Amino acid sequence: MKTLSIKKGLPLSVAGAPAPKIEKGPAVSSVAFLPEILPAIKPRLLVKNGDTVKIGTPLFKDKNNPDVLFLSPGGGTVTEILYGHRRAISRIVIQTGRTEDHERFDPVDKEQLAAMDRKEIISVLMARGLWGFIRNLPYRTIPAADETPASIWVSLDPSDPFQVPSGVYLKGNESLFAFGIRALECLGAPVFVCESLGSEVSHEAVAPLVTHRVSGTYPAEDPGVLLYHTKTSPRENHAWFISGQDVLMLAEGLSTGRYPTERIVSVSAPAGRYMKTRLGAPLASLLSGEAAGENRRWIMGGLFRGRSVPKDGYLGLTETSLLIALDAGDPELFGFLRPGLKKPTASRTFLYALHKKPFAPLADMHGEERACINCGKCQAICPVDIMVPFAYKSIYAGEIEDALAHGLLDCVVCGLCSFVCPAKIELAETFESTRHAYHQDRI
Amino acid sequence: MGRRIEKSLRALFDRGRPHFEDKGRLSRLRPFYEATETFFLHPAIAPKNKPFVRDSLDLKRYMSIVLIALMSPLLFGIYNAGFHARNASGLSTDFATVFGDGLLIVLPIIIVSYAVGLFWEGLFAAIRRHPVSEGFLVTGLLFPLTLPPTIPLWQVAAGITFGVVIGKEIFGGTGRNLFNPALTARAFIFFAYPVQMSGDAVWIAVRESVENGINAVSGATPLALAALADPTERIEAVFANNGYAFQTLFFGNHIGSIGETSTLCILAGALILLITGIASYRIMAGAFIGAIAIGAMFNALASPDLPAWFSVNPFYHLVTGGFAFGVVYMATDPVTAPGTDKSKWIYGFLIGAIAVMVRVINPAFPEGVMLAILFMNIFSPLMEYTETRIRIRRRIPNV
Repeated sequence: MKTLSIKKGLPLSVAGAPAPKIEKGPAVSSVAFLPEILPAIKPRLLVKNGDTVKIGTPLFKDKNNPDVLFLSPGGGTVTEILYGHRRAISRIVIQTGRTEDHERFDPVDKEQLAAMDRKEIISVLMARGLWGFIRNLPYRTIPAADETPASIWVSLDPSDPFQVPSGVYLKGNESLFAFGIRALECLGAPVFVCESLGSEVSHEAVAPLVTHRVSGTYPAEDPGVLLYHTKTSPRENHAWFISGQDVLMLAEGLSTGRYPTERIVSVSAPAGRYMKTRLGAPLASLLSGEAAGENRRWIMGGLFRGRSVPKDGYLGLTETSLLIALDAGDPELFGFLRPGLKKPTASRTFLYALHKKPFAPLADMHGEERACINCGKCQAICPVDIMVPFAYKSIYAGEIEDALAHGLLDCVVCGLCSFVCPAKIELAETFESTRHAYHQDRI
Repeated sequence: MGRRIEKSLRALFDRGRPHFEDKGRLSRLRPFYEATETFFLHPAIAPKNKPFVRDSLDLKRYMSIVLIALMSPLLFGIYNAGFHARNASGLSTDFATVFGDGLLIVLPIIIVSYAVGLFWEGLFAAIRRHPVSEGFLVTGLLFPLTLPPTIPLWQVAAGITFGVVIGKEIFGGTGRNLFNPALTARAFIFFAYPVQMSGDAVWIAVRESVENGINAVSGATPLALAALADPTERIEAVFANNGYAFQTLFFGNHIGSIGETSTLCILAGALILLITGIASYRIMAGAFIGAIAIGAMFNALASPDLPAWFSVNPFYHLVTGGFAFGVVYMATDPVTAPGTDKSKWIYGFLIGAIAVMVRVINPAFPEGVMLAILFMNIFSPLMEYTETRIRIRRRIPNV
């Protein structure tokens, strides 16, 4: 096993970490699919308002890659197809019936899997709506069938506050997970499974599959970070990755012949907990009471790279974390001159630096945007060693080639540069949108 | 109490705001309004993009820490200016009156620097429609501290004007300037009005009587003495005979520019900057090593044919003139220093080395720190460029 020690990363911890116990979420009366948040997908609808669907009925396919189907997470009636910005389909809502039917696929067992070649397994995954759980590097989009990755990464313990750790989702599912890894191995690239120091896997079905062990703080376990720190040649730049929990989805979808719908989600408020719910569940079903109330910002998919979601939103395909932050409050009298015992910072400019207790997330910029003064805090924290101010200024000047040379495509969009920037420059957002534009240009 | 002040201030600013908005009659003055409002009421703004949490550190805090680090040399400078003024006039030197007179000498300089500088800063902010940058608060205080106490106020105004407009704004404003604006301002005054910036007559702001105002008497700074010292003499002895023992130089109770004399107070400021991580330890340490190394090299070359400076114990370089002040507050300006780690060491080293070199082997300039920093400012983009190229070449390409 290779061990990696990532030195750079978030030097703080966040309050609200879930207790390691799974609660069962309430039954829901509607579920939704959110095509809008899938990266670089152009959906072509296969259903219309009022249609009756089963769990696993195709809802839409990707125009660029028509073999890739996205299936319904619920059985019932399509009641809403909502269009968002520039007529992108933002969600497809399904009112679930009292009993839900499943589309039936042929179950795949170990022997059948062993007999399948790459092409077959890919077409099975695409047809059964399981392809959408896989992402590629460097663009982090859903891969095309003809891509040939140099490696496939599975990170067991995502560390963005707060994701579901392997100790929670793997329990009781170890052999299913091993089956999923076997399926990934059929994709024709070495599969690397990475555990985190401090939460090693001991189960005999999974432990032999682990190839890497990583230590470090967020985002040390990110597949992009792992790849950056292990690659030895440019040929390895192109890789695929899938989260540990999604390996289970993939395995379940193959082995049972049913589209999997079960999800374990972490919820940070009122007290941190894990909840068993289902794919596409309404977020309001996860949270109620004061924590759901006014002046709260709901962040879906991790504190640093998650999106801000409305309270009537739904769970996205690969999202497993709902974090509640307080909204920015009122302006503060001489805020910048306070001692700042409770002002969270990665720097040493407030008394907070003396104790560094876990901080409660507050959705506040803590200042106004200014010109870059080249202080270098961003590049000191970057886990993939990008010289952020220079890369940013290259983009600012329209020199994309320079930005690429600086490692724009190595960027894992962990958001730490934006987090620490005292000039409040939207660095991560700039990198991500530039990379997206570059990707769109190339295809 | 605090809450009530906060509330009434918010009400006040809310009432004023419409006049400064786009269609208001004072919309041109919006940068001033915003600078004032956000000074009192630190804004709470919701992030538009991920990540939705941000660090508490912003540029207001960043720059205030530099200002706090400047307090020790400033307060000592006020006392010191007052002390030498009263001492030379044969007046009593009890602490209160000395400090009071010091304030009368130093405050007008600072007020003019801030007022005139802020005017230019605000003018450019209004024309370019960007907010007033907090960095100016540092420039506006750094500049007066590098001046002799007798400096005419109109020269302060001319200097800060040059520093802000030519040193910063014509390059595009904060973050894009090539030279440290405060040093640019000082260099302008230094070369344009040498009579008021150097020599023996500018360091003591004598207050003979209130009616007569300020006059100057003679007094040679350590650097002036050192430049004139006979090669056969030891500089240490020359200093000691003129009342500049090492500890006097270190503690700073001697004549010189307002903020530069006390190495101890500057070290206190440096400590604040280093503990908070606001200034680069690489640059400071590099400059320290550079000065000592080149000083030691000159020691090795010293001979009776060469100036007495050659043989001085290198540590004297650290406590004389503006060396400590320049290295701690000016060389570490992140905008004009290189932004890459190894370059910072080299940049600091060369500043220390060149400053000592100018002092020792160039008789035209008794002091070399200002020139060393400005000179290295020119090279910092090149150093950045070289280091980024080297580091990029080490990366595994990903395109």
